[in-house]
Amino acid sequence: VGTFQSLAGAVIANGPSYFDGIAVISAWVGLALALSMCGAVVVARLACGWLALRSRQLERQYLPLIVRALAHDDAAVSALVAAPSRHQLIIAALLITPLIDDRDPSRVARTRTVVQAMSLVPVADRYLRSRLWWRRAIALRALGLLQLKDRTAAIVGALDDSNRNVRAAALDALSDLKDPASLQGVVVRLHDASLPLGRRIHALAAFGTQCEPFLLDLASVDRENRLGYAYALTICGTARARPTLCGWTCDERVAVRAASFEALAHVGLDHHAARLAIEALSSEEVLVRAMAARALSGWRDPGEAAARLGQHLDDVWTVAVEAARSLQTMSDAGVAVLITRAGRPDLAGLLARQMLWEVHVY
Amino acid sequence: MLLTSLLVFSLVVLAHFALANSMLLIMGVVAAGFLWEHRIRHTRRTRSLSNVLVSPPLVSIIVPARNEALTIVESVRALLALEYKDREIVVVNDGSTDDTLARLIWAFQLVFAPVVYPEPVKTAPVCGVYRSMREPALVVVDKHSGGCKSDASNAGLNAASGDLVLIIDADTVLEPDGLSRAVLPFLEDPHIVGIGANVGLANGCGIEDGRVSQVALPRNWLARFQIVEYMRVFLLFRLACAAVNGVPIISGAFGLFRRDAIVAIGGYDTTSIGEDMDLTVRLHRYYRERREPYRITFDPNVLCWTQAPEDLASLRNQRWRWRRGLVQVLWRQRRMIGNPRFGTLGAAVLPFILLTEGIGPFVEMAGYLIATIAALAGLLDWRHYGLLIAVSLLFGWAATLLAVLLSDIATRRYMRGRDLAMLVIIAVLENLGYRQLNSWWSCVGTMQAMTGKGGWGAMRRRAFEGRNTIRA
Repeated sequence: VGTFQSLAGAVIANGPSYFDGIAVISAWVGLALALSMCGAVVVARLACGWLALRSRQLERQYLPLIVRALAHDDAAVSALVAAPSRHQLIIAALLITPLIDDRDPSRVARTRTVVQAMSLVPVADRYLRSRLWWRRAIALRALGLLQLKDRTAAIVGALDDSNRNVRAAALDALSDLKDPASLQGVVVRLHDASLPLGRRIHALAAFGTQCEPFLLDLASVDRENRLGYAYALTICGTARARPTLCGWTCDERVAVRAASFEALAHVGLDHHAARLAIEALSSEEVLVRAMAARALSGWRDPGEAAARLGQHLDDVWTVAVEAARSLQTMSDAGVAVLITRAGRPDLAGLLARQMLWEVHVY
Repeated sequence: MLLTSLLVFSLVVLAHFALANSMLLIMGVVAAGFLWEHRIRHTRRTRSLSNVLVSPPLVSIIVPARNEALTIVESVRALLALEYKDREIVVVNDGSTDDTLARLIWAFQLVFAPVVYPEPVKTAPVCGVYRSMREPALVVVDKHSGGCKSDASNAGLNAASGDLVLIIDADTVLEPDGLSRAVLPFLEDPHIVGIGANVGLANGCGIEDGRVSQVALPRNWLARFQIVEYMRVFLLFRLACAAVNGVPIISGAFGLFRRDAIVAIGGYDTTSIGEDMDLTVRLHRYYRERREPYRITFDPNVLCWTQAPEDLASLRNQRWRWRRGLVQVLWRQRRMIGNPRFGTLGAAVLPFILLTEGIGPFVEMAGYLIATIAALAGLLDWRHYGLLIAVSLLFGWAATLLAVLLSDIATRRYMRGRDLAMLVIIAVLENLGYRQLNSWWSCVGTMQAMTGKGGWGAMRRRAFEGRNTIRA
């Protein structure tokens, strides 16, 4: 505003010539900007076109060799090793990228052999030490996809990198690597909010039940983060976690109690756990009642459970839905309870009819 | 005295053109940075996450449909063929007077089903819910018309069972991997509440089975101008806003939200004309007032396509409506404008919108009008007049060409060199008449908003048919 006021003052004082000067400068600036943008459009398209062309040429040149090399053709491996160093990164990309979708162990092993023969692993090591975060991320993802277990320590170390994207790449790499040696590194970062949530979940899922002993050990000494462990056990818990989860259903924190029942829904119930779930249906907390109802899903001895769940079709909506879904999974006993409720004109009746309709009974 | 006043006014107009377009250019630089990091971050390995998760989030795709008989079956088929499998499709038949519902019933073997759900957001009465015998993921909610798309979206929101809801127009065409890409940020950042997509124009494109099979420029010049206009809006403005968590609008053509966030703010406001901007700004406000961490973002690589009006009357009605919506939102949320408590949106984005979109068209039109009259009357030197016009055009060209550049780098939608050359020509021509026409419509729309006039306005619909599509 100040600049404009002074300009306006100058225009008033000096008349048209001053305006002329400002307008001419503005026009030249505008022209320069417009022409440079036009040039940039052309240059960018030409550059992209040239890169795409070169990439296609190299693909045509090296893909047949790669296919043969992966089919144990030593001559093809030698040809790849002898490729000019300026082509090596492109060859590496052509070799490694398909491993994202194709995790066939023999293909991974063969690719690893070819990459090692081409001495590309030291290049990845160099990239790991790069100042540029995207180079570190690329190296980590490549090491993970190749399942180079002798680099596990370096990848685990990258979980503490200063860059968020590199940490995410390290987690991806460990998910692909599936090296038990890295398990502890993954599990202890379960609560690390600086790592992307989806990747933490994926890493846990990648290791599956192998995580469980570590989770239970850590949970026994880390009461504070019990909620996170309960959620983790909904992903990779087994019957082994059941006693611990049963213990957590008495935790004073509502969220922990609810998450424990949610995890029990995943690991399955025994009679003791089922009793706890049935009792928890009387909880004052909506979330606990809802998760207790969910935990009873598929319970194979449903007599009392089905009757209790039937009463909760009149409960608040979240509990009613969980109760209805669980009843739907309880075969004849559940269906019988739903049928008795289906005749009612209220919301519970409609919900029961929906459940029956979905299993083709109504 | 008159001459001096004219000169000062000319200076105001000159400053407006230079500043508004320079701001767009600066936004382009910010957008380019955001785009660059986005591309490096979202590698193929990164993108695979949403496909490999054991239990990815359920996405409810809400399709409000009113008199969409021409396109609805194709649209639903395309949605059912999306790569992302954990999704349900909730079509809301909003009191259609054509055979939208009948076509759905016939195509997907719909049956009346006893489906019940809570209704946290009030809507016009629902007549019934249909499930498909062939497609378990399809739900059709048949309701009385609430008189606006917001009401239908709210009904869909009630019926949705996913944690995430994707609200799209019935004629939006998604890329097969669009949903997988859009879900990814939610998996990476638990604070994300909404994400918008890069909307392109399907006019002129070949569409097969509800997919864009061939991208080409339309023959219609109005549609062509809108292509570069969309590029400018999405790839300069919204991308730059996304870089600073100040996205003011997630387009109604494609908006993926956390359901609980929309329910928390009471869903779409049925009295709002620009319901998409209204919702986005209210989401910002809700989280800022509670001081809760959140992010509303825009993904340039999530592509979707929509139809643009090809006749002047439809375009004019659309622009009037948009303008009335904008003015309404700015008025309702006036407390946020210039208020740093509401983050970048309040401190910078909304003031920018107020200046360039709210006041800008009036300055521009007044500039053209007064300068022309003054030049004709001999009060203003023709040289001054020429310079004024030249500045307005040159800065406009620079901003639009930057948008074309970013679009080409980000999406490579128009692969043929011939199309790109045409885009450059369109970017130049768009500033010669079309932009001024838009400014005029903006002025009229603003006046309508202030006087409380104007309705929804009709847009001539076209069916997606066969290869070379979009026939009347």
